[in-house]
Amino acid sequence: MRSPVKPPRWAHWLLIKLHPANTLEEVEGDLEELYTHWYNRSGKTQATLRYLLNVVSVLPPFVRRRKTNEHQYYQQPGSRITSSLTSIMIRNYLKIAFRNLKRQKVSTSINIAGLAIGLATCVLIMLYVQDELSYDRYNENADRIFRVALKVRLNGDNVGGPILGASAAQDLQQEFPEVLKTTRIRNQAGEFVSYGTTSFKEEHLLYTDSTFFDVFTIPFLEGNSKQALTEPNTLVLTEATARKYFGNQDPVGKVLLFGREKTPYRVTGVVRNVPANSHFRFDMLASLATYGEQHKGWIYNMNYYTYLLLPEKYDYKQLEAKISRLAEKEVGAELQQFMAISLKQFREKGDDFGIFLQPLTSIHLYSPFGSIELSPGGNILYVYVLTAIAVFMLIIACVNFVNLSTATAVRRSREVGIRKVLGSAKGQLQLQFLIESVLLAMMALMIGLLVVGLSLPYFNQLTGKTLTISLLINPFVAAGLVAGAVLVGLLAGSYPAFYLSSFKPVLVLKGKITAGRGSFSLRSGLVVFQFFITISMIIATVTADRQLRYMRTQKVGFDREQVLVIHDTHMLRNNEAVFRDRIIQSPQVSMGTISGQVPVGNSVMDNTTVMSKENPDKGVMSRFYFVDDAYIPTLGMQLVQGRNFSKSFATDSFAVILNETAARALGWEKDPIGRELIGNTDDNGAKTYYRVIGVVGDFHFESLRQKIGPLVMFLGRNSGNILVKIHTDKLPKLLASLKQQWESFSPAAPFSYSFLDDRFAQVYVGEQKIEQVLTLFSSLTIFIACLGLFGLATFTAEQRTKEIGVRKVLGASVSSVVALLSKDFLKLILIALVLASPIAWWGMDQWLKEFAYKVTIDWWIFALAGLLAIGIALLTVSFQSIKAALTDPVKSLRSE
Amino acid sequence: MRRTYLGEFEEVVLLMVAILDGEGYGVTVSQALEEHTGRTVTFGTVHNTLIRLEEKGFVRSELGGATAERGGRRKRLFRITALGSRALQEIQQLRQNLWQLLPPDTLRPGGL
Repeated sequence: MRSPVKPPRWAHWLLIKLHPANTLEEVEGDLEELYTHWYNRSGKTQATLRYLLNVVSVLPPFVRRRKTNEHQYYQQPGSRITSSLTSIMIRNYLKIAFRNLKRQKVSTSINIAGLAIGLATCVLIMLYVQDELSYDRYNENADRIFRVALKVRLNGDNVGGPILGASAAQDLQQEFPEVLKTTRIRNQAGEFVSYGTTSFKEEHLLYTDSTFFDVFTIPFLEGNSKQALTEPNTLVLTEATARKYFGNQDPVGKVLLFGREKTPYRVTGVVRNVPANSHFRFDMLASLATYGEQHKGWIYNMNYYTYLLLPEKYDYKQLEAKISRLAEKEVGAELQQFMAISLKQFREKGDDFGIFLQPLTSIHLYSPFGSIELSPGGNILYVYVLTAIAVFMLIIACVNFVNLSTATAVRRSREVGIRKVLGSAKGQLQLQFLIESVLLAMMALMIGLLVVGLSLPYFNQLTGKTLTISLLINPFVAAGLVAGAVLVGLLAGSYPAFYLSSFKPVLVLKGKITAGRGSFSLRSGLVVFQFFITISMIIATVTADRQLRYMRTQKVGFDREQVLVIHDTHMLRNNEAVFRDRIIQSPQVSMGTISGQVPVGNSVMDNTTVMSKENPDKGVMSRFYFVDDAYIPTLGMQLVQGRNFSKSFATDSFAVILNETAARALGWEKDPIGRELIGNTDDNGAKTYYRVIGVVGDFHFESLRQKIGPLVMFLGRNSGNILVKIHTDKLPKLLASLKQQWESFSPAAPFSYSFLDDRFAQVYVGEQKIEQVLTLFSSLTIFIACLGLFGLATFTAEQRTKEIGVRKVLGASVSSVVALLSKDFLKLILIALVLASPIAWWGMDQWLKEFAYKVTIDWWIFALAGLLAIGIALLTVSFQSIKAALTDPVKSLRSE
Repeated sequence: MRRTYLGEFEEVVLLMVAILDGEGYGVTVSQALEEHTGRTVTFGTVHNTLIRLEEKGFVRSELGGATAERGGRRKRLFRITALGSRALQEIQQLRQNLWQLLPPDTLRPGGL
């Protein structure tokens, strides 16, 4: 019987809106039936009331929800309800994920390779940056240790440094109660130390106060930190040094001999090796007490790195102000004493000085005193650049992932359609895709870590660090990495997951889903971004390479080939000249000169003011070289005017040779020969004058970072090295004979030598490393960008299969189809080139500012980078587009 | 073995499902309840109890075929399971055992 009566519509509406969907149908029917029953029995009003009451009784919160699907009826009673997160479903997700990844081998391996390389780069850079930031933090009081530094402007040059006179530390401790401890370090690298018959040149020898161990945390293995360096002529060795000299013997109490005078130093302790991430390095520490009573002063005898230990949570800026006031007083008094001018006059000349405190932990990355540091510092700029590269690499890898996953959407969209038709919920599909991408990310992490492990030795070689993977074993870091990888997986997977699962099954199964305009422009944006970075990297690499080549091949003004430098010849004492005279007897040696100055790198730092006789008020800051008569010919320098020093002129001890820059600076471009420079004033007030006898052509005596400055050469004894010009092809034999002759003088130093051209190359090691790092990273970005492009090309080719088929049927040639497919990518790369060029130009311009002699950034570099990028891109794309163009149109069109 | 607890109302509903023998669904169960026990309960109570009984495994249900009645909406028909009938029998057995233990005159009213 048809029910002639209907329950009130609004109550029915309430039921439909609020009752759980899975039991709605039966409940709706039941209630309608009941309504009819009540209506027939008790009339409309009664029926409506009861209906309403009963509707409310099946609305939340009163209603019990049926939690099941159909499977429930066949389960054991009492077992829990299934959801999409039970182990069965998860196993199913994983199984499907593995099958999918296995089936799409190309896109899987591209995805994994891209992410793995991105992650590996990230981890490597993270290790490097972490190491750079960890400098000096091993000290327990790292945050409370400060170094006193001096900035001085003298004649327009910044000549300050982190070094002070001997008594500054003592003054500071007496004057300020907040200075808890002070300690001083004096660098005495290059001392010859012998024990029995063995002798070594110690490149890392520091002299320190006994308070050194109160400030810095260097644990003792033997001996006592309180008494170790209190007495004069005492030594503390590191483990490695102790082993070097004494093997397994107990070093404490043993005596080492220092230098030519063989001064005895007693070993009082052994400490652990200094951590590599320390701004100083030492193999042995000697007691500063050895020097006995020092000259008083802050700026007299500036040799002492002075460190302060301050109370906890103390604002060091406060102390800085106080120290500055004390320094004004002390330095003012010293200026009066040594230069006979007051501080005010000193400042009026345009000179200035100031004092500031450097927090210990900032020394490595921020200290501005490059070569005056105890060991070469890092650069915060490189930390930033590397971090940026790491972030970019990760972004690019993620971008590729998103790109490739959306690109395979068409292939997967059928699957999604079928799954939806078969009743898969949207959430389950999303979970499926997310699990796939997380799985991929985890695999990439594994492979990436493997790559890190394998490449770490090379990376260490490149960066000069001793990074280990041990940092990664730290549970927090490991957990962070895994969490990071999962996050990357989720991030990269979320776009395809939400995009794919929202496909309408009907459309998908009809084959209507193609990438819409919107998603294509997103993908294009990603390609532009990748090539933007790639092109910038190529431009940077090419420019750095050009600069490096330029510096290597630049004419330096002297002949650096075939010049052998014998080191430490001052250790021969009076026999230095005898040795020189003896070795130039050899037919393979043509000339030899004794000089401490080798015109490579920053050998000597001091600048001195010279004045011409006719214009004594105008000082010219210049470098002094003390050379003998063989120096200029041995190094093949050109004399532009005048003559070289000669033994036959007795007056040459008061003669000088200028370089061209000095001659210009003194105003003697035309006729410098015979002019005179004012020398020092002797005790009787009589001035000495130096007469110019020659002008030598400008040569680079430092690296090409600096401009050639004025240089004055004096004839004088200046021991240190012997430079000899050799011409031989039997080098080992010559070296053996030199060594033998060296040892016949039984000096305290071992025979050591280098070649001038090798040393020249050494100067640019820093730049070389930058270039290598750039080359490495730019090839990696190119590689990753290519992977991304390859994926995208695969996608496009697949998208347009039918179009290509139709075109071919209508008579298009293979080449026109290839051109058609490649054209889109070319456009993107051109956009990237336009964006990258100004930014790369700006960046490299900044970098080149460090060099006084530099290459220009020409337009062709940009063209080259663009061509390179286009070439690489075409190669990548053409593989796919040629494949697509060669496909038989029958195949592609039949599938409709 | 732990016995699944069966409440008084649940027991009555379960009995009704058994009595209706495959014809039990929301409407018939509530009508039978009203008819045989005189209790008027809301539909929601019956609906919830049936769901709970099904979760406990005492009844199973399936959707019946669509009919022209009630706007073509299907009914969910309930049928007692083996577990359900065993539970009812156990209750019955327990009651009978208890009745046996009752002293003869205890329940006689008045009893002068």
